[in-house]
Amino acid sequence: MGNLQSRLDEFKREFESGAPPYNATHEVIETMHRATAELEASGLANKALKIGDRAPRFSLFNQDHVEVNSADLLRQGPLVVSFFRGHW
Amino acid sequence: MELEALQGIYSEVKALGAQIVVLTAELERYTRALHKKLNLTFDILTDLYLKTAEQFRLVYVLPDYLRELYRSFGNALDRFHDEPEFRLPIPARYVIDKHGIIRAADVSADYTIRPEPSDTLNALRALKTNARQVA
Repeated sequence: MGNLQSRLDEFKREFESGAPPYNATHEVIETMHRATAELEASGLANKALKIGDRAPRFSLFNQDHVEVNSADLLRQGPLVVSFFRGHW
Repeated sequence: MELEALQGIYSEVKALGAQIVVLTAELERYTRALHKKLNLTFDILTDLYLKTAEQFRLVYVLPDYLRELYRSFGNALDRFHDEPEFRLPIPARYVIDKHGIIRAADVSADYTIRPEPSDTLNALRALKTNARQVA
């Protein structure tokens, strides 16, 4: 299966090659690079919560509309929280 | 890809006494479809309007030119997220110990870079080792 980053890198290579099925134009690729560079320059990643900080509690609905509370999960043990920007 | 990779380590995560949740601003009708499609066994939680992502200080507003680009791809944040302001979280994965303290944090402004699931497993193993030493 290989590691995650190498698969992401492979996808990026295919996308930026301009070949089908993505057919990304040079302009599209440049726009995405610009956005990433600006976001990196903004320093947002350095302002995010970090090691040693107390994690905010949350109570949110899962895919089956069941409410899930972080405090309940943490009572059972450590928790991995992954933020996902979307499937699109 | 990241969700499948997390599913790939989930049995080991559970064996270490831990759990995984994925937070997204996507509405439940989309998380339900995605959860089913990928056969996930951990929860995807709808972080409506990115309120929790905001508390982790991960949220940014898309610049106008990027909104136009995504629109041209047929993507619609307002449809998937009920998000008229075009905000997104930067990719991040945290390991939180049972006392609620962040013990590992992988945050990247470049959305094409994601932390390896094996790093997350290592963080959980280290947590378990430390807990044993304290006890």
